[in-house]
Amino acid sequence: MKAPAYASFLAAASAAAVVTVGLLFLTPGPVAGQDAGKGGGKAAGKGGAKGGGGYQPPAGPTPRLANGKPDFSGFWQRPYSPDMSAGATDLNGKPYPPEDPQHRTVALDPANAPAAGRGGGGRGARVLPYTALGAQDWKTYDPSNGDYTGACLPFGLMRSINSPDPLQIMQSTTFFAELFEQNTWFHVFPIDGRGHTNGTPTWFGDSIGKWDGDTLVVETNNFNGRTRLDTNGHGHSDQLVLTERWTRTDLGHIDYEMRIHDPKFYTEDWKNNRQFLLRTDQQIMEYSCEENNKSLYEGRIKAPKFDQP
Amino acid sequence: MKARLCVFAMGLMAAAVPMLAHHSFSAEFDSSKPITLKGNVTKIDWLNPHIWIYLDVKDDAGKVAHWQCEGGPPNTLTRNGWTKNDLKSGDAVTINGTLAKDASNTCNASQVSLPDGRRVLAGSSNPDAKQ
Repeated sequence: MKAPAYASFLAAASAAAVVTVGLLFLTPGPVAGQDAGKGGGKAAGKGGAKGGGGYQPPAGPTPRLANGKPDFSGFWQRPYSPDMSAGATDLNGKPYPPEDPQHRTVALDPANAPAAGRGGGGRGARVLPYTALGAQDWKTYDPSNGDYTGACLPFGLMRSINSPDPLQIMQSTTFFAELFEQNTWFHVFPIDGRGHTNGTPTWFGDSIGKWDGDTLVVETNNFNGRTRLDTNGHGHSDQLVLTERWTRTDLGHIDYEMRIHDPKFYTEDWKNNRQFLLRTDQQIMEYSCEENNKSLYEGRIKAPKFDQP
Repeated sequence: MKARLCVFAMGLMAAAVPMLAHHSFSAEFDSSKPITLKGNVTKIDWLNPHIWIYLDVKDDAGKVAHWQCEGGPPNTLTRNGWTKNDLKSGDAVTINGTLAKDASNTCNASQVSLPDGRRVLAGSSNPDAKQ
């Protein structure tokens, strides 16, 4: 079945974007850890083992750029976080109360449904500090009524970070580039002290990075409001401001924190904390979501309809 | 389709979790409708965002029904050591999965097994597989 014209356009645009980003970094600083050690080999293997497969990242100190700042470059494995409420705490680290799944009018995905005893990356859903508007949105969200990701539209920054597909980071003293394997998307932003562009709202928002010691603090605003925070559908408004704190604690690890500020949907700021793992035994792969998205082309998934701004 | 196509509407299959999707699972599939299909593979699509396994399923009268089942993302399967040649046209398979909401002959495969019991293209049906 022939793909819609816009899907072909998206595929071409994605491919061109990766080439563009690659050109930006033809003369990068050290690509830390990419060639260091070959731990793990082909993870998992036939028979259904986990993708992690006992892999251990290489040991060593935090790599740094010529200006002395930490270099986050590398190929990173991240925990799949289909439900951000599961690992959510207030800014003091206090978890929110467990959520009763019956609280919703639409059932959660069984793969992502809450299960006791596991937080920080997918299960053990909790009740976020919703405003009335945020609570109503969460209770009534129905992914079968046009989940935009099913149409291969951009996941947005939060859902891309939450994706289980790996992330390649390329960094210079001026720019920070996130190359998401998920749908071959990228997000590039300055880290040299310049301010927000305040341009047209976008799926991935307008990011700027500033240093807090050895921690890179990335603030993103100007989202288009068409995305969701996670696969399970936690919502946000166009007033969302996302603050990420990136700390490369050593060669093989990044401590990552994501703070959500959205006074329309949440009564207070809340956060998630995770750890990313450097993979030196793998490399990024092409992921064209549009090439055989049968579920959309054959009508089992509905394309979303957005209100015009 | 009665004998070889067994639909188990019971909690047993609830433990079989669907594979990671590029979209919400419940946007397309009905987790309350597990299914077991026994048939022969006719084609494999090893393409993003998911592989698809096509199979013919015969009922007691020999009538053939064409089915298609969504598998894991090819990148994940590749990293877990699988290739498109691990399952070939003609192979007899048993697929445990979940029916699509639209009542077509479409499923989400959580487990694909050969007659000797070996699971193939595994590692994608577990939500922890990529962690």
